Amino acid sequence: MKIINKIAATLMVVTLFSGSALAQAKITVKGSDTMVILAQKWAELYMKTNKASIIQVTGGGSGVGITALINGTTDIADASRQMKQTEIEKLKARYNTLGVEIPCAKDGVTIYLNEANKVNELTLKQLSDIYTGKIRNWKELGGDDTEIRLYGRENSSGTYVFFHDEVVKADYSSNVQSLPGTAAVVNAVKKDINGIGYGGAAYAVGVKHAYVKKDANSKAYVPTAESIAKNYYPITRYLYMYLRNRPTGETKKYIDWILGSEGQSIVTEVGYFPVK
Amino acid sequence: MKKFFTLLFLSVTGITGFAQTTVTDSLKEVISNHEGKLTALDERVLVNEADLAKLNKIKVSGYVQAQWEYYGKDLVKTNEPTNTFYIRRARIKFTYEPADGVKFVLQPDFSTGNLSLKDAYAVVNLPFLKDWTLWAGQFNRPDYEVEYSSSQREVLERSRLIRAIYPGEREIGAKLEYIGSKVPLKFQLMAMNGNFTGANAKDVDSRKDIMARLVYSIKMPSAGLGIDIGGTGYFGGNKAKTNQYVLESNGVADSVAVGDYLKKQWFGAEIQLFADVLGGLALKGEYITGTNSTPSTIASTATMAAKKADPNKVNNFSGYYVYLIKNIGPKNQFVAKYDFYDPNTKLSGDAAGSNVYYKTLTLAWQCYVNDNIRISLNYEMPQNEKSASVKNIAGTGSTQLNDNTLGIRIQAKF
Repeated sequence: MKIINKIAATLMVVTLFSGSALAQAKITVKGSDTMVILAQKWAELYMKTNKASIIQVTGGGSGVGITALINGTTDIADASRQMKQTEIEKLKARYNTLGVEIPCAKDGVTIYLNEANKVNELTLKQLSDIYTGKIRNWKELGGDDTEIRLYGRENSSGTYVFFHDEVVKADYSSNVQSLPGTAAVVNAVKKDINGIGYGGAAYAVGVKHAYVKKDANSKAYVPTAESIAKNYYPITRYLYMYLRNRPTGETKKYIDWILGSEGQSIVTEVGYFPVK
Repeated sequence: MKKFFTLLFLSVTGITGFAQTTVTDSLKEVISNHEGKLTALDERVLVNEADLAKLNKIKVSGYVQAQWEYYGKDLVKTNEPTNTFYIRRARIKFTYEPADGVKFVLQPDFSTGNLSLKDAYAVVNLPFLKDWTLWAGQFNRPDYEVEYSSSQREVLERSRLIRAIYPGEREIGAKLEYIGSKVPLKFQLMAMNGNFTGANAKDVDSRKDIMARLVYSIKMPSAGLGIDIGGTGYFGGNKAKTNQYVLESNGVADSVAVGDYLKKQWFGAEIQLFADVLGGLALKGEYITGTNSTPSTIASTATMAAKKADPNKVNNFSGYYVYLIKNIGPKNQFVAKYDFYDPNTKLSGDAAGSNVYYKTLTLAWQCYVNDNIRISLNYEMPQNEKSASVKNIAGTGSTQLNDNTLGIRIQAKF
């Protein structure tokens, strides 16, 4: 009888633990380094009020997140660029869906300059010329007679792709130093008086924002809530979450929360801009 | 006494001072040593980083498909086995990307009884023409089922139609490709020898075969729906090497002179529909019709022995395939496929000879064990056109071959 009781008790404990494990909905989020601080903040606050949920957030870059989504190793891919056609084709081939794109925040890709740099304003054409290597000296832009040192992201980064497609529009110069995260880019520019870098607005600490204008005759802007909302800032983009299928259950609840007032207020708090 | 304490104090502080100087010097020496070591390490890291950056430009991927098949009795000749294990594909793909927008690919295949070169090509992004790439070398022809990788395809083999008109899938030539980043359009234009691949792939005439494909994608995100619609065209021919007769589709023999150009031209329409319905559903189809003078050898598969085509024979043909794929949860897929191929649309029954049509129903189940492993269960049920020539193949007097095939495949991909 004692043995039966022991077995029953053990089974009960196992059932209880497995029940609680089942009750805890785990959502994995992987991708954009630009979004990682935002995604972590969302997860942290959501889990505080939704004790049964576990949200696991990791970075690695937009490309890494989308690959993980295709391979089935993440539920949500964060991306600071839109999915490429080749990536959609892979998703179609494996899951027979086109994926679900959810714009969850807005960002102004910020041009970081060292605070001691005399240059304050740049046009999109000048930025393209700088990053393709056509303009090599700050003197050509009204600064000191020193060589421009270029800092950028690795090609798995969504910011790298977005900046390439929307600003550079040609092959990057071979002189661009690829760094493994936006924080590293900011840090490099902070230390290098001749440096220039690009990345998410939320990371720009200890460096100055360059005013950016569409062309020589336009007004120059830095990314602010107003300039982003009204699309005045010329390098504005959405930040996205991608899923394989339309969300259901706990994932839908989490996404609805992100797009709601609470989630969007965190967007502003972190340094990005709400979608609405 | 005072003198004694003064002397003692002086000597103690003196010793301490001396000791402090010694410790400081020694620390300086240690720091200097470590600085030297750090500088050396820094240099080594820089060298390693440079080497690693070079290695990062090389990507290696591949897959192995190990298979067991059980054949219907009419596929089994006397004293031949009813089933076999074999390696359907064993491929390793090397991709080298020396710079953004430049790619070199080499892919050999080591499957059972076959060592061949599948892909060998270079791709470059066209400068000043965003979204355009130029391909040169040996690569897939621009067709949906041809380009759909064997490692992704939901049934074990491509449709009979595709195997017949695009044997080996690859060709040697050059291709211009546009994949729109703003417009959901794909355009491919390829010029090729038209002699397939292998030892005799070099061209025998100066004319090149041309193939074009255009696909437009429609997205309806709110409905979870995507539709790709497209068309293909093939414009080419074969130069007659002998002056044997030409047998047109209608069975009328005609003469041909050496050097005459025999028509090889067809058009196709394709559609792929993807719906996010309880885990993903796809309906894909393609229809192709035209004239083929290809003296092609259709590769042998489980359900069909290798078939030598007749030289100098011009046939009208038509065929199609339809896939229904339903994802069941994240790891499983059910597949039903129906395909039809008539190599000679103008002749039927006994008059068709060996060019009988085939209708094939395939049912399959895919299980994606993890990122790398997929297990496939596949049952292929071909039905042939009734013809006297089939009786000879079967050897049983029946006009309907029993050539169903059961296949189980394990695919490991990396």
